[in-house]
Amino acid sequence: MNITDFFALGSACFGILMLGSVNLRLNLFLYSLQTIFMALATLNQSFKLVNIEMYFICIFIIALKALFIPYFLNNVLTKIDIQYDSNVMIPAPIGMHISILFLGISQLLSDKIIQSMPSIDSIGGVTAAISLLFTGILFMLLRKIAISQIIGFLTLENGIFIFGVSITKGLPLIVDLGVLLDLLVAIMIAGLFVFRIKSSFEHIDVTQLNELHEN
Amino acid sequence: MPPLIAMFIIPTLIIFINLFLNKLKWMSLKLSAILIWIELLSVLFILKPVIMGNSIHYYQGFLIDKISAYFIILTSLITAVCITHSYFFFIQESKNNPKISFTQIQTFYILAILFFISMLLVFMCDNLGYLWINIELTTLLSAGLVYFYRSKHALEATWKYFIICSVGIAFALLGTILIYASSKTFSLEGTLNISELIEQAPFLNFNFFKFGFIFCLLGYGTKAGIFPLHSWLPDAHSESPAPASALLSACLLNCALFALLRIYSIGELIRHCDFMQYLLIGVGCLTIFAASLFLIHQHGLKRLWAYSSIENVGLMLVAIGIGSPFLFFLQALNHALAKTSLFLLSGNIIQITNSKELKDIRGLIKFSPSLSILLILSSLAITGTPPFGSFISEILLLTKLLSLNFMLPAIIIIIALTICFIAVFVHVGRITLGQPKQNWIKLNNFQFNLMPSFLISISLCLGFLINSDYFRGLY
Repeated sequence: MNITDFFALGSACFGILMLGSVNLRLNLFLYSLQTIFMALATLNQSFKLVNIEMYFICIFIIALKALFIPYFLNNVLTKIDIQYDSNVMIPAPIGMHISILFLGISQLLSDKIIQSMPSIDSIGGVTAAISLLFTGILFMLLRKIAISQIIGFLTLENGIFIFGVSITKGLPLIVDLGVLLDLLVAIMIAGLFVFRIKSSFEHIDVTQLNELHEN
Repeated sequence: MPPLIAMFIIPTLIIFINLFLNKLKWMSLKLSAILIWIELLSVLFILKPVIMGNSIHYYQGFLIDKISAYFIILTSLITAVCITHSYFFFIQESKNNPKISFTQIQTFYILAILFFISMLLVFMCDNLGYLWINIELTTLLSAGLVYFYRSKHALEATWKYFIICSVGIAFALLGTILIYASSKTFSLEGTLNISELIEQAPFLNFNFFKFGFIFCLLGYGTKAGIFPLHSWLPDAHSESPAPASALLSACLLNCALFALLRIYSIGELIRHCDFMQYLLIGVGCLTIFAASLFLIHQHGLKRLWAYSSIENVGLMLVAIGIGSPFLFFLQALNHALAKTSLFLLSGNIIQITNSKELKDIRGLIKFSPSLSILLILSSLAITGTPPFGSFISEILLLTKLLSLNFMLPAIIIIIALTICFIAVFVHVGRITLGQPKQNWIKLNNFQFNLMPSFLISISLCLGFLINSDYFRGLY
């Protein structure tokens, strides 16, 4: 097991731990750790490939995704005064165990992917990526609060990023920066909408936003 | 490069006018409406060489070929119409609803123009990465348009639109990465450039491309509103103000479908591409059929037209699937003309009756004959009735399908279109006939019918133009 795999799988583990807690600040902290580990895996990969562009990406990821976005969402949490995502669909520990099951499934899937493309060297990276994808989707499905939806979406995006790094050695710099910028703006706008939802509905449970429907 | 920039000078000017010349008040909106028509003329002037002959490469990663030139012109036309109509619309709206502040309207204008710029950029991209970035940008900018009324319903619709489309588009990014990986087998570097990918199509890794295509179909399909992923579309279209609904329906859906067209243009050159064609046509037929069933039981006026948009998205997907970009454009053009007119007219009807519910709107023909005649004509145009242009594009689509031996899809489409026709006309009949209520508000007929009648006459002209050699050459 090389260092890239270690960091990538570490990031996947933080993703799984995130599902095990309903404390939103802890979720944000784990998301931040997960992103830092992801950036370290990328950094290690770029040392190996001597790819200078990727150093910039790592710096931007740590600055924006791992530090600024959690800080921003933390501020939002303080202002709307919410601590816990208490009514989840199924109990948090069970959700965590389901996502451990998905880690196994992603190992099998990544084996298949590696077989069709022998040039990929980091099987751990692909496994971690698919696992993070599943974790993100599970997080969005199981949690009801708007902030949790945002965290789930960010985890999903992290999974896609690791996937890109491990099977293609990273997208071109300008595309990566564009994606990062779009993501940042999207999170800021989503944060604003969370405020609005809180002030007009007096809760941020998105499953209760169901006034518009057929008939 | 200069012509590319030239296209964005006037939109930037409009944004500056609305941002900094606050003292002009309504005058600034009037100025925007005039400037946007000049923008349309300048776009036509800039793109003239492209339509006459060759495609232009600007800079690396940007390309304007014939099909994108047509879409840029269509988008400019629809935006010009919507911006002009919104001047009259918002004057009436601020009379009806005193809570709407002027800053809110100015913000709407600024966002609409930014949205327009991002849509133009989508059609110019020759790089899958840039394409993705710009399509995500359209989501971010149009969320503000949907949230115009600042009400609970608008908030709910915006949140759904924002989250569903962002997650969908994230899957499209995954698809883009897989397509990038598929190009790594041949050239050492790998490329996202669409023209290069088309050149290298036979050498791409088929497995990766296959999954890339499926994820892109899922992702961009969410944005276009294909059947099981359409839930955001009726909400967003019905809760936004009428000009914004028209922009979303007539321009934004085309952007997402255009991305699919670009990706499929690579895919159809790969040896085992059959399944992609079946997938596109299958999903298209499913979308048309499901939308036609949803049309029957509708309670909202704008939701009706939203489902009709979903139906047209299905038709456009089928057109992409049979490998005919110009048929796709023809369908998009006819849909855009009729649908913009319908949404603008629905905006007027909602201002007259102060209700979005179909059950509250009766006897329009007695209250405002001109409006209801335009409504009936636009509904004829959207359902593909001769002599309107959409009839021609639909019949061309069906003949092409039959000539390729797609019997079952053609039958499904014919049945679904018939259901659509009946459903739309039952609703339109109920709206126009009957006894109007007393407390309705009178609107200025000329101002409010100007833009819809302009669009309907273009659609009518297209219906007769199609026999000329020009369109036959395209087909």
